[in-house]
Amino acid sequence: MSHADRVYEDVFEMMPSLENPTPLVRLRTLAPKAAFALYAKLEWMNPWGSVKDRAAWALLLDLEERGELKSGRSLVEATSGNTGISLAALAGARGSGLRAVVPNKVPLEKKILLRIAGAQLEVVSDELCPAPGLGEGSINLAKTHAKASPDRYVMPNQYENEINALAHYRTTGPEIWRQTQGRVTHLFVSLGTCGTVTGTARFLREQNPRVQVIAVQPTEGHDVPGLRNVSQLGVSKLFDRSLIDEILEIDFELAYTRALELCRREALPAGPSSGLVFEGARRVAERGGEGFGVMIFPDNVFKYTANMAKHIPSLMEGTQL
Amino acid sequence: MSTIANPLSRTYARPEALVGTDWAKQNIGKPGVRFVEVDVDTKAYDAGHIPGAVGFNWQTQLQDQLRRDIISKPAFEELVGAAGISNDDTVVLYGDNNNWFAAYGFWLFKLYGHRDVRLINGGRVKWLNEADKPLTVDRTEVTPVRYRASEPDLSLRAFAPAVLEASRTAAQSLVDVRSPDEFTGKIIAPPGLSETAQRAGHIPGAKSVPWSTAVQSDGSFKSAEDLHEIYIVKTGLDPKHATIAYCRIGERSSHTWFVLKYLLGFERVTNYDGSWTEYGNLIGVPIER
Repeated sequence: MSHADRVYEDVFEMMPSLENPTPLVRLRTLAPKAAFALYAKLEWMNPWGSVKDRAAWALLLDLEERGELKSGRSLVEATSGNTGISLAALAGARGSGLRAVVPNKVPLEKKILLRIAGAQLEVVSDELCPAPGLGEGSINLAKTHAKASPDRYVMPNQYENEINALAHYRTTGPEIWRQTQGRVTHLFVSLGTCGTVTGTARFLREQNPRVQVIAVQPTEGHDVPGLRNVSQLGVSKLFDRSLIDEILEIDFELAYTRALELCRREALPAGPSSGLVFEGARRVAERGGEGFGVMIFPDNVFKYTANMAKHIPSLMEGTQL
Repeated sequence: MSTIANPLSRTYARPEALVGTDWAKQNIGKPGVRFVEVDVDTKAYDAGHIPGAVGFNWQTQLQDQLRRDIISKPAFEELVGAAGISNDDTVVLYGDNNNWFAAYGFWLFKLYGHRDVRLINGGRVKWLNEADKPLTVDRTEVTPVRYRASEPDLSLRAFAPAVLEASRTAAQSLVDVRSPDEFTGKIIAPPGLSETAQRAGHIPGAKSVPWSTAVQSDGSFKSAEDLHEIYIVKTGLDPKHATIAYCRIGERSSHTWFVLKYLLGFERVTNYDGSWTEYGNLIGVPIER
């Protein structure tokens, strides 16, 4: 293995680490203030194309180390796509499988990708009428499989398993600290399972308690796959409000228009959640003052073409005979 | 009501109708106690259920498959008898989404005169999240019995004419238990649901108390004091006044019907199971937004 030559004996050696960080790329056109540098951390450069490779790899290794995957057991996980895609692919290459329980609203591209990565797919109805703490159908169904069929399934449970946050405490946080040479002043992240924000913020705060952690969330009733509004965070046991300085709620349609701008003006193939994170960072930078902001861009736009066209109908122009 | 001890709080009006998850666990396999799961997500039972429980599908087994109605008395007798449930059994219902359809099943059992029916407080989600509560995929073996239902008790059920009169004269209170967006007419139904209506809004005079107001974050019901505060003090419902609960298809309103009748002791409360999918399709009836 050589990170310098990028020659690896297997894909697992490519997993992100302090020695092999995902790239940090500065925005040159869209950053509103020169004094407030905005750097995007390109998580789509991970093998399976999203930030979720980190949690999936850590969760899988933890299960292996604890002997939970012996005697043909598979994983079962509730996922909005990215975690499942990573878990299915990585688990498949290590000899086990994944039953992915996904909400119906997950884009078709992600469902097909889950199948391509080898997951057995179980699609469930979306939330019908949310109640506080009810959890979601997909999480409850995955938990049911793990509890009722323990001989067949083990559930990593990315929503409650501290290993998810630990993966970011061990990799994302140290990478950012070294890549910015300790100059980072602001961390901009979106919220899903909250593993990224909790693990990364915890590490950065330990290095410099003054690092500002800004969480960006879409408006309620949003259509940004993988993200959660704070009202939906009851299921995310990893959410630690004390690590977050500010939560910005942003009209979810901006996730799509900002992603398009990043694609066209920065040549960064950012997906909608990256667009949302960028909008949050842009607003904070516009307030003035100096800063060194790091934005976690969770994945790229390639698996959201249908969603992009849905929210930006002009993208369909000229596509038909 | 039954000789089986129920340790739950006595602060509810009829606490014997509600059992805790610990009570349920202790009574798994006990003769005379039959567990019945009714879910919104009809896959849930097959994925794992309480050992010994039977599962009823609300779409195909609790509804008449030809006309829009609850199943007939003979069909109910056949369903329950085939599940091995006797008239003297204690029927313990539970399900997903905080017992939406389990409460509907409870209402149906009561409508057809079953004496001892109970609901597991917190339903499936509470059971699932308690480490010591078992789930199984084992098929439940049952011995069919002959079950006899009573004629439907229509004092538990409201039909459209009574609802229209209640709206016009305030002879009965109306409580709309759907989400605020359904009540105000912003949406006709929660996204992705096939049962819907032509028009959005609510029945004039109805008070909005979303069903979920009655539950805590672990899925169980709020305390009698909290429920009293919500429904009687803040909303102004009167336990002595006849009250009709409605939602979209009658399942969430069964949940509130249970709260009003069994936890708060309302004397006359009915479930309008036609609900918005009937009312919102009627020609010429008044609608508020």
